[in-house]
Amino acid sequence: MLRKRPLMRIACLLVPLFPLAARLRSEPELAREAVVIFEGEGPAAKVVAATRVVREAGVRAGMSLPQARGLLPKLIARGRDAECERAAQSALLEAAETLSPNVEDAGPGQIYLDVSGLDRLFPGPAGEADVGRAALSAAAAQGLPARVGIASGKLAARLAAASPPSPRIVPRGEERAFLAPLRIEKLQPPAALLDTLTSWGIRTLGELSRLPVKKVATRLGEEGQKLHAAARGVDQEILLPRREDPVYREGLVLEWPLVALEPFLYSAEKALERLVRRLESRGLGCRRLLLSLQLEPEGFEERSLELPVATLEVKTLCTLVRLHLEENPPRGPLVGFTFTAQPDRPRTAQLSLFGPAELSPDRVATTLARLATRLGPGRAGTPRPEDGHRPERGGRTDFAPPPAPDFRPPERRSRGLLGLRVLRPALPLEVIVREEAGARQELVSLRTLMAGEAGVTSDEKVEKRPQIEGTVRVAAGPWRLEDRWWGTDGEEREYWDVELSSGVLARIYRDAKTTEWFADGLYD
Amino acid sequence: MTFETNSTDIHSPPDLQAVRSRLEGRFSGQVRAGSELLFGRDDSASHWATGVPAFDDLLGGGLLRGTLVELVGRRSSGRWALVLSALATATAGGESAFLVEMGEQLDPQLAEAAGIDLARLLWVSPRWLGDALASAEMGIAAGFPLVVLDLGLPPVRGRRVSPGAWLRLARAAAAQDTVLLVATPYRSSGPAAEQVVTAHRARPLWQGQAQEPPLLTGLESTFELTRQRGSQPAVTSVQTVWTVSERLESVAEPAVAPERKAHHRLA
Repeated sequence: MLRKRPLMRIACLLVPLFPLAARLRSEPELAREAVVIFEGEGPAAKVVAATRVVREAGVRAGMSLPQARGLLPKLIARGRDAECERAAQSALLEAAETLSPNVEDAGPGQIYLDVSGLDRLFPGPAGEADVGRAALSAAAAQGLPARVGIASGKLAARLAAASPPSPRIVPRGEERAFLAPLRIEKLQPPAALLDTLTSWGIRTLGELSRLPVKKVATRLGEEGQKLHAAARGVDQEILLPRREDPVYREGLVLEWPLVALEPFLYSAEKALERLVRRLESRGLGCRRLLLSLQLEPEGFEERSLELPVATLEVKTLCTLVRLHLEENPPRGPLVGFTFTAQPDRPRTAQLSLFGPAELSPDRVATTLARLATRLGPGRAGTPRPEDGHRPERGGRTDFAPPPAPDFRPPERRSRGLLGLRVLRPALPLEVIVREEAGARQELVSLRTLMAGEAGVTSDEKVEKRPQIEGTVRVAAGPWRLEDRWWGTDGEEREYWDVELSSGVLARIYRDAKTTEWFADGLYD
Repeated sequence: MTFETNSTDIHSPPDLQAVRSRLEGRFSGQVRAGSELLFGRDDSASHWATGVPAFDDLLGGGLLRGTLVELVGRRSSGRWALVLSALATATAGGESAFLVEMGEQLDPQLAEAAGIDLARLLWVSPRWLGDALASAEMGIAAGFPLVVLDLGLPPVRGRRVSPGAWLRLARAAAAQDTVLLVATPYRSSGPAAEQVVTAHRARPLWQGQAQEPPLLTGLESTFELTRQRGSQPAVTSVQTVWTVSERLESVAEPAVAPERKAHHRLA
């Protein structure tokens, strides 16, 4: 026996005056100002949306911009920004996806989502109202003032969203009663059909639904039949969930070209805040930031900023952008920009009861990004040993500590090894050597060579490096070191450990090929 | 820590409540970590061992958590060996450590030979003193339990920083309960340091008789506690011997453990 499948419950998330809402999301400081969004150029520019202050002054959508200025001279006019609207639409979709995996993009400022089966998360008779409030909160967190309607069909849900209060819930099976008092114009029928119905004296959907189905079909054709079915609450439109991966992109078209960095960073910080908010809502962090710059009069540049690990720190991202642009300024004035984040899962920490506390991966990620920003690349990481014999070898790799042990191991005593500070690069030296026939070499004294002496170039800045000078009290050596003899970069050295009269214990060598002396380490 | 209870009694609710109330009373304010239930209370938890017992004794048990400890030592004084030893002890215990070191002077091979678990060490090499302090502060804020700031060899690059910057660093360490070891060639941190230890000129140890070729075998360092807030310690000066590894190649077994010599304060 087939069981009757419960009706799908659909929520409609609607952002009224979407072009305006998208712009105010990018420039929230304008929310209380008299702002209009216009479309078109020059005198042909038409008002698309306006804030409440402007509407109260009599400005309506469709008016020309000069007309609007005539009513309200101190008007702030902003052109439609496709980038802002696209980002706001993505943010709205992501807000809806925090509640349901099945979300349909129904055009600018309009989203449908399947809210069936959420009664476990939002139990009780007011569960659907709670779903609606959660959707409103999610949209508000993305900076979008939305309205919500929930019904058993898309049409009823959309009309419920458009009718106050919000959230508006249409109970199961009561769609027809909900639609009955609404005017036919709400369904946006073709003009000829609307004229016909008006001439019959039909004004509301309830009046239309009471007409016999067959006679409506006979007189008004397929269009009329569809309209009649909609008026009866019969909705045959199905939800078409989007399947593509979200793109985390935020940007702004600037009102005038920018040539200075500070004003750009002000707008950039706001865009990054929005981007991070979106990533945060999905539990993601930014691993790589792509910056697209639109230049005046034409052309654009793309920059890519890598981060050591995924981060959600706006300050860090902003500093990275600043440092990058200071080093590589754009070729011309900026008229727009876009940030695109490549998301990545932030690392998670497993807490231990008996072992050492583990570092928070998020804090480590932020710290690494800040260090990279402050110190430049390649100055922070885990030491990496390298094969070979030269003391100066070795490098760094990404810091990714293994998990802390479950139990704290017992404390161990130090191996007590003598430390050696490696001098990178090696210090050039002048060494006085006494050499007698039949006896071994005796080192007498040494000193650091200064710039300009014996082949030391002035750009080596030896004078700013540690100096070694004095008579040799004890010298042990030489012993030979041969490294990479098979290659062109091979080294052959003779090493000595020397104790100087100043108390310094150094490791020096003579290059067997050039016979030049260097110090490459200090025992400490 | 054990509790003697009659197992037959605790099944009745009133007795169970009584046991619980006793447990809560005895545990309240005493147990700070779950490990104490297994291994007992560790009274040395406020100190961080450097792995050199003589040096730890000098500081009253090790580096004190939440404080700035300054280690002053000129060239070839054993300062760097002590830094490596502290890092080795921390990372071998499963903790992560943060090393800010000016001059790119760390040798990864030698660090590994000294017992440092390199995977748990974040090594940062700023160019300037101001960057070094900022890096150390970032390490503290990130939650590293041990942060070592080594200013390298003189001359230290960068302009002098104000005492306020050191105080700020010390306050950050106190707020995070971090061990902050500042190793400098000359006194730097001013009043911010809780303890200051000076590594005096060390004595190199050579092997070989009169006409035999000499061979460096180690370095004898002398550490003196020159500043201590609060009570005066019983021990003010200790000596430690650092040994040379097999030409600084990796060693499978630890070298000879550091010798302990302590000079007690004369009454």
